[in-house]
Parts: sequence; C-alpha cells; structure tokens
Amino acid sequence: MEDVLDEIVSSEDLQKFEKVYHEQLHQGNVTHKAQFEYAWCLVRSKYATDIRKGILLLKDLFNSHAEGKRDYLFYLAIGNARIKEYNKALHYVKSFLEIEPANQQVLALEHQINKRMEKEGLIGIAVASGAVLAIGGLVGLGIALAKSTNK
Amino acid sequence: MTSGPYNYSYIFKYIIIGDMGVGKSCLLHQFTEKKFMADCPHTIGVEFGTRIIEVAGQKIKLQIWDTAGQERFRAVTRSYYRGAAGALMVYDITRRSTYNHLSSWLTDTRNLTNPSTVIFLIGNKSDLDGKRDVTYEEAKQFADENGLMFVEASAKTGQNVEEAFLETAKKIYQSIQDGRLDLNAAESGVQHKPAASARPLAAAPASNNNCAC
Repeated sequence: MEDVLDEIVSSEDLQKFEKVYHEQLHQGNVTHKAQFEYAWCLVRSKYATDIRKGILLLKDLFNSHAEGKRDYLFYLAIGNARIKEYNKALHYVKSFLEIEPANQQVLALEHQINKRMEKEGLIGIAVASGAVLAIGGLVGLGIALAKSTNK
Repeated sequence: MTSGPYNYSYIFKYIIIGDMGVGKSCLLHQFTEKKFMADCPHTIGVEFGTRIIEVAGQKIKLQIWDTAGQERFRAVTRSYYRGAAGALMVYDITRRSTYNHLSSWLTDTRNLTNPSTVIFLIGNKSDLDGKRDVTYEEAKQFADENGLMFVEASAKTGQNVEEAFLETAKKIYQSIQDGRLDLNAAESGVQHKPAASARPLAAAPASNNNCAC
C-alpha cells in the first residue's frame, strides 16, 4: 500500500453500504448521504465494473447536490485513475484545482496520477525496446544462418 | 530520504481522528514533511501518509490514515479504524467542544480497534496558549483515567509532534516485544517484513545442500 489509489474496500463494507442504498432505492427515496457512501465504497472496489458504477453515482450527485461538489470531484478523479482513465482523472483534478489551487490532498493525487502515467508509459517503452532487441536477435540469427549456408 | 522503500522491518498502521478543524492533517503534514500547512482546507474522506522511523534500532514504516473530521464522512471513515495499531486522537486546546467530544471518539476507537491498539491523546494548537479553553491538567486527568498517552502539541511550531508519533510507535514495539501484541492476528495493525538482509539466510539451505553433495 503506497498511496490512496492502491486502497481496496473490504467486501463487508461494500455490502453494508450497498444494502442501505438499495433499501432507500426500493423505497424511492435515496439520500445524498447513502448514495455518496455507497459510491465512495464502489470506487475503491477491486472490480472495474463496481468502479464504473461508482463513477455514475458520483456524476449524478455532482449534478444534483451542489454542496458536496468538491467531494464528488475528488472521488471522480480517484475512480477514473483506478480504471486507468488518467486523462479523465486529471480533468477532474484540474476542475478541483481551479476552485482550490493550493489543496495539498488534490495536488498529491495529481502527483500520483502523473507518476502512474509515467510508470506505465515507461513500461510501454520497455516493451518496445524489448521488441527491438528481439528483432535484432532475429536479424543476427538470419545473418548467422546466411553465413552458415554460404559455407 | 536515504532509506530505500523496502528497508524496514515492520509496518505499523495509524489512524488520526478527532473533530473537524482540530489540525489532524496539519499534524500529519508536520510529521511527514516537517512543514506547517497554513489555511489547511477540510480533508475529503481520508488522506494517507507514510514515514520510516527508527525504534530500538529497528526501521519501522508508519502508514498513517488521516480521517476527515466532518460528520458526513464518519460512517465510512469508521472502517479505517479496523486493524490500527495506533490511534492519535486530537482535540483543539482553544475549542472546548472538540474536547467534550473526545468520549464519543474514544468509544468508537475502543469498539472498532483491538485491545492492544495504542491510543495517544493530542491537545493541538499549544502555540495558542492565550486562547486556551481546556487546561493541561484536566486533559491529563482524562487521559490517565482512560489509560491514554497524552501530550499538548503544535502542528504550527512542531512542538511535541515527533514525540507523539514516535512514543506511539515505541509503545506498540514494546507490546510486540512483551508478546502482548500478536503479529499473526489479522487485525493487529502490524506487519512484520523480513528485511532485505534476511534473504541470503533464506537462500542458505540450498547452498548447504550443494555442499553436502
């Protein structure tokens, strides 16, 4: 566990807050609180489908409940970063920083997202250079074979 | 920092709890960055910080969960208490209401952590002595009655901040040494990490076998 993007919700917690949300949904009256608590758990799930569901719930809250906007923006950034939608995540971070430019918590999140993008970018380069080495090897083998047949 | 990322033998999990605006995030920031964060905005949900410290010659990584004090986050932040080896419970010496709520924070902590969890009470903002609303003596008495460790500290000047985090770690480490804290218990809040130097030992039997042949 190195940062907030690694953290995974326990299945008991997810179930607990899911139950409250569904009960309220069934009664046709979902509170912002229940929806947010459920969404907060969903975006910390290890399953991408849960995270996507959490993102939808947060978007809905963002559009309907002005008071909690900064919280929703923050967890929209976390959710998107966790499913590797880094550009979307950074978009939410930027929207947040337009309102609170010096927020350490969000600046730290931005740093973590950039670090991940960089790391995964480097992995891409490593794969590419590995391929170059492999091709180089094949060419070398080809030359060696050509030489041996020439003999 | 000179210590490598895996160069520690234990991980201790901490939580920081207490009312909104008592300076929990500022204490964390002062401890991890050695800087005071002025105009600290309200934390969203939880914040996370780490620092490697040394106790009795052992390197220990502290994983610190700083929880938001706003009531709207409390239901979910309660799940972060689980498996905490240390709990820093913070109030503001200039706001009596934050002190009055301590019993509710303490009840949560006792209910959601395990008996070996070390609870450290911090009276923050000791630099604002002129605006003091809670005396040292009564807080000390509250701490003693409830078996808590206690200091007054200032996230602004840094006074006693290191001490609070380090004394908590020493107490946890002592519990391990005394066998009061079971490292194998799922929710002890402590992980033992074999140090990098332990690896050659693990590899040793193989080389011994080679010699025997």
